[in-house]
Amino acid sequence: MLPTGIHFKTYGSEAGLLKTTRARVWVALLVAGLALLPLVSNDYLHGIGTQMYITLIAVLGLHVTVGIAGQINIAQSAFVGVGAFAAAKFVEFGWPFWVVIPAAALTTGAVSILFALPAARVKGFYLALTTLAAQVLFPIVVFGLPPTWLGGLVGMPVEPLTVAGYAISSPMQLYYFTFAIALIMTLAAFNLHRSRFGRALKAVRDNDIAAEVMGIDVLRYKLAAFFAGSMFAGVAGACTAWFLQFVTAESFTLFSSVWYLGMLIVGGMATPIGAILGVVFITVVQEGLHEIASAFVRHGDASGTIFAATNVALGGCILLALIFEPRGLAHRWMVLKNTFQFWPFPPR
Amino acid sequence: MIRFAQALIDGTLVGLVYGLIAISFVVIYRASQIVNLAQGEVLLMGALFVWTFTLGAPTLFGFKIPLVVSLLLTGAACVALGLLLERLVFRPLIGQHAFAIFMASIALLVMLRGVAQMIWSAETRPFPAILPSGAISLGPFLLNKRLLIGAILTIILALALHLFLTRTRQGLRLAAVAESHNTALSLGVSVRSAIAIAWVLGTVVATLGAIVLLSGRILSLDVAEIGFKALPVALLGGLESVRGAPLAGLLIGIGERLAMSYLDPVTNGVASNVLPFGVMIAVLLIRPQGLFGWKKIERL
Repeated sequence: MLPTGIHFKTYGSEAGLLKTTRARVWVALLVAGLALLPLVSNDYLHGIGTQMYITLIAVLGLHVTVGIAGQINIAQSAFVGVGAFAAAKFVEFGWPFWVVIPAAALTTGAVSILFALPAARVKGFYLALTTLAAQVLFPIVVFGLPPTWLGGLVGMPVEPLTVAGYAISSPMQLYYFTFAIALIMTLAAFNLHRSRFGRALKAVRDNDIAAEVMGIDVLRYKLAAFFAGSMFAGVAGACTAWFLQFVTAESFTLFSSVWYLGMLIVGGMATPIGAILGVVFITVVQEGLHEIASAFVRHGDASGTIFAATNVALGGCILLALIFEPRGLAHRWMVLKNTFQFWPFPPR
Repeated sequence: MIRFAQALIDGTLVGLVYGLIAISFVVIYRASQIVNLAQGEVLLMGALFVWTFTLGAPTLFGFKIPLVVSLLLTGAACVALGLLLERLVFRPLIGQHAFAIFMASIALLVMLRGVAQMIWSAETRPFPAILPSGAISLGPFLLNKRLLIGAILTIILALALHLFLTRTRQGLRLAAVAESHNTALSLGVSVRSAIAIAWVLGTVVATLGAIVLLSGRILSLDVAEIGFKALPVALLGGLESVRGAPLAGLLIGIGERLAMSYLDPVTNGVASNVLPFGVMIAVLLIRPQGLFGWKKIERL
């Protein structure tokens, strides 16, 4: 809700994503800040930033499938993996990046449809079980295929990314590349909410019988929800392939799928803002634990303990969010924003 | 022919052990309407309890504990774990959307794995030989003693739990909770105690599964993966049917063993791993309620 005194003269201005000049200024400042960040940070932070953007793309996809359409997907990491392997294969064919990314996205979408098909018969967490099957089957199938196809147990090396003849391989260059892609995908996620497609998905989520009565083909939209969400995963996968320059099925585990879901739940499922806040929050927690652990353990291999501690922290965060704030950080953020906007009056 | 028959026997015995773990899934769902994806982790915790009170005891507590006492202690620890999970995780979520409860079980999966690694560390350790090892030879065939005992245990347990859930007052209360939390609450059935009973039963059965599965073998954190193998079994048998679980385990165990001996050489070892999940997707497509589950309109 907007404060008093803000009026719209055209439909276009009311439907806009950023309705007021102030909002536009804030977002411009945020984007400019993120774009200028590499001037003051180091390669380590570039790496974290790049990883955050890639994760954000994947979580935005999950937001489409789980948040907007209400279909549980616990195989997002496997779908990112499918995108990564597809991208690695397409790069091997010598395709340019602006063909590889859409092609990887479409491939991933097609694979996800295979596992979404039981939506014709089941719903709710039964459907989630088929995505679990996708997640468990992914490494088995990749390892089992002939090594010349997808690298088998070893994995596939990926040629560095080239954009218009320039090689994008330094952490700073990759930061800018993934930043641009993440910006486009974030815009896409926000726009989805105000399209007919997005509204149809929300109708399916809120009450699929009512949606069917209103003339929405529920099965088609459920499949489309998986397709759209997995396309985001495919884009994230292509970025991962270039970022790591090596893809192996071991990087795409059930645990990272749970991490993606956890980020979405902690941030809030209903809006893309939730996805952004969740990714930032969980990454900060993870890095914080990393710092604390390495401060305590100066010598010896502490990676196992760190992994365990981050898992406990993540599980705890998800449980706390589910029990105390199911609407996630995004809701808290809205409350804060409202308080600020309506001050000195009490927020809505 | 002998190879085929031996594959059948192995498949039957292994399948019944899958059935035992599937029972621990089913008993939780059947009594509280929670699909617990973290069942593999619960089994892992049970196995670690057993290790702590048997082989771990001399180094941890400084004295050896007799086997009977350590099994009793393990049982007590399982009950405590079940009650703790009910109190901290599932009681606050009563009446919430099924999605929230499902996600809570996923969060639990991550958390229990982390807790296990933090407390017991990720190293592999020997598991005490509680059941006899070796095999009974029956003509040209070999029957693994450990799995045979496990198979008998599975069948007895399935029948006992089935009688409990369908013939006793408390069991019927649990059925009401499995139908709907809100309806059960309005009829004066305590959902809290149902969830507590479900989790205590689930952890104890899972620990029995761990003993059958691991006795005399190696215990590592990867044991938890068995949970995902038992999930297709539970689904095939029907999530509400305790009796369906051993039968479904039998089918999947035999199928897996046959695939292992006849298809795996051709498919690079993929066939036997893919089979349970192929069955799971097929079940969801063809008969979502499984072999003996309750047919509900909401699933279609």
